[in-house]
Amino acid sequence: MIASRTRRARKAFRGQIAYHGAGIAIALFFLAPLFITFLASFRHGTQARQPAIPPWPTDGFSLDSYRSLDTFGAGVWQHTVNSLAVSLATVVLTVVVSLLAGYGFSRYRFPLKNVLFVLIIATLMIPFQSILTPLFIILAKLGLSNSLIGLTLVYVTLQLPFSVFMMRNAFDAVPKEIEEAARIDGARDLRLLVCVLLPLVLPGVATVAIFAFLNAWNEFLAALVLLSSNEKYTLPVLMMAVRAGRLGAINWGAVQAGVAVMTIPCLIVFLLLQRYYMRGLMAGAVK
Amino acid sequence: MNKMAGTGVVLADIRKSFGNVDVIHGVNLTIAEGSFVVFVGPSGCGKSTLLRMIAGLEEVTDGEIAINGRDVTDLDPSERGIAMVFQSYALYPHMSVRDNLGFGLKMMRTKAEEIDARVNSAASILKIDHLLDRRPGQLSGGQRQRVAIGRAIVRKPDVFLFDEPLSNLDAELRVSMRIEIARLHRELGNTMIYVTHDQTEAMTLADNIVVLRNGRIEQQGSPREVYENPDNTFVAGFIGSPRMNLLDATWSGDDYVELAGQKIRSPIAAQTLQEGEKITFGIRPENLSVMENAGEAIPAKVDFAEYLGGTQYLYCQLDDGQPLVAEYRADHAVETGSKIWIQCAAADHRIFDVGGSRVR
Repeated sequence: MIASRTRRARKAFRGQIAYHGAGIAIALFFLAPLFITFLASFRHGTQARQPAIPPWPTDGFSLDSYRSLDTFGAGVWQHTVNSLAVSLATVVLTVVVSLLAGYGFSRYRFPLKNVLFVLIIATLMIPFQSILTPLFIILAKLGLSNSLIGLTLVYVTLQLPFSVFMMRNAFDAVPKEIEEAARIDGARDLRLLVCVLLPLVLPGVATVAIFAFLNAWNEFLAALVLLSSNEKYTLPVLMMAVRAGRLGAINWGAVQAGVAVMTIPCLIVFLLLQRYYMRGLMAGAVK
Repeated sequence: MNKMAGTGVVLADIRKSFGNVDVIHGVNLTIAEGSFVVFVGPSGCGKSTLLRMIAGLEEVTDGEIAINGRDVTDLDPSERGIAMVFQSYALYPHMSVRDNLGFGLKMMRTKAEEIDARVNSAASILKIDHLLDRRPGQLSGGQRQRVAIGRAIVRKPDVFLFDEPLSNLDAELRVSMRIEIARLHRELGNTMIYVTHDQTEAMTLADNIVVLRNGRIEQQGSPREVYENPDNTFVAGFIGSPRMNLLDATWSGDDYVELAGQKIRSPIAAQTLQEGEKITFGIRPENLSVMENAGEAIPAKVDFAEYLGGTQYLYCQLDDGQPLVAEYRADHAVETGSKIWIQCAAADHRIFDVGGSRVR
């Protein structure tokens, strides 16, 4: 009796070890590149051009890599601010427009609704590189060439099909009765949307925001083509310059530092928003 | 506008179509203030649509709706003095019970103390005081339904609208909530309009039952009236469980009905029927008396007996093959295939013409 109980306990313990062991191993596997990059970015300037083995700083922490990163372009601060401005503006605009569009597509009946919706989704199939030239011309005509506002508008445009699709689905999942109950309670239009519906579609909004931020933050080609002055470039363009090196000599320390600078905001955004992925937010509303 | 005057809810020639499909064909109805009216009918009969039009959630294609003498046809739902309880509760999942109850008042910019007072009083009426700080997700089905009703009470509406509020609850809870709603109506005294397809709810709760079919009112009246005096075969068949037996028969003149080869005396006041005219003969299962010995009665063969504890239902076949259900209170089981004889008092006969209308 007791023997069988200890045997069972031991078996359960071994199972737990295997489960958590495997989890830790996989986590390490995925985190290793991040750790190596972060650690390597703190190596001494003299080590910057040597092979990154071992990757961690062997003769003390130093910010040399970050200092040398700052010598590229218009300085890393300028480019970080550019990137942040473009990305955050893209997030805000995308969320506002897709929230309203998703609500409209989900709740209102109007002629050609489904045709319009398919048309919007269909634009996902056009590779955006192929419309870069027309985009460039349009922005030039609007007087928005070489401006961060122009770049933001392009990013929002590219982001919208997916976001509208996402928000329509999010609104479709909200039971109509909740909206009707709110109408009876006297919530109308914007108040209905903000007070009652927005909290219910937050998971969708979080998804849209994360995608909009990551895509705008990491985008390179449009930024390179549509911007032309040095101090307006975003981080990916700066990184390209760092990666290309000077006179054929690549400062790997600066590259590692650049990667670190580019990764941190993405991590912050993701960690901030992921808690809105809470499942079961809708639980208890109906049924 | 004269017909719109007076208190209560008045529907004047209400029509509704979705595209080319007409779902409500001109409903005229006056609901007295303070009464409890139940709309009942099969699914798709338009009862929910009618309720939603009173609520203002569905636009009225044609006609007028007045509540307490005020034309509300084109008013916003929140301005009609109504409150609605949905089948699916429709609570706001991201708000606590307290916020759910107070949301409507908050939207009307009521003072915080006033909201508090009204929320607390509604909560104590419904005995949900201890749940006020929970979220809907943490409540059971019955508790959620109480919160939904509480949200309606807090608004102090002229008219309560219930859209199948008990359909999602289990049988036991449904009975207790039914009693609760009846108590609420007694205490608050507001007009209540209640939609259900459940006859027991309709019969037990209503002062007035409105039976609907295909967007038309088939009959309205007190539960007793509708049950005992149905205007047509639809109402006769719809109200009551098991349903009224509706048998093909012939009027053989001089107060006699010929049913399955037997003549039954069935005096009716208005002699509008012609001899030999086809009729539908209605009789409720509980009004049939069953005999197990041959007698002056209609013979039938038992196909199946359903034992319900206090009573049993015999599913039989008459000699001409027509099915018939009879209630039989006996202390022993009736065997399948055995022969019985049935009788019924003339007062319980209901006779309908070929078109299904009652002949009285």
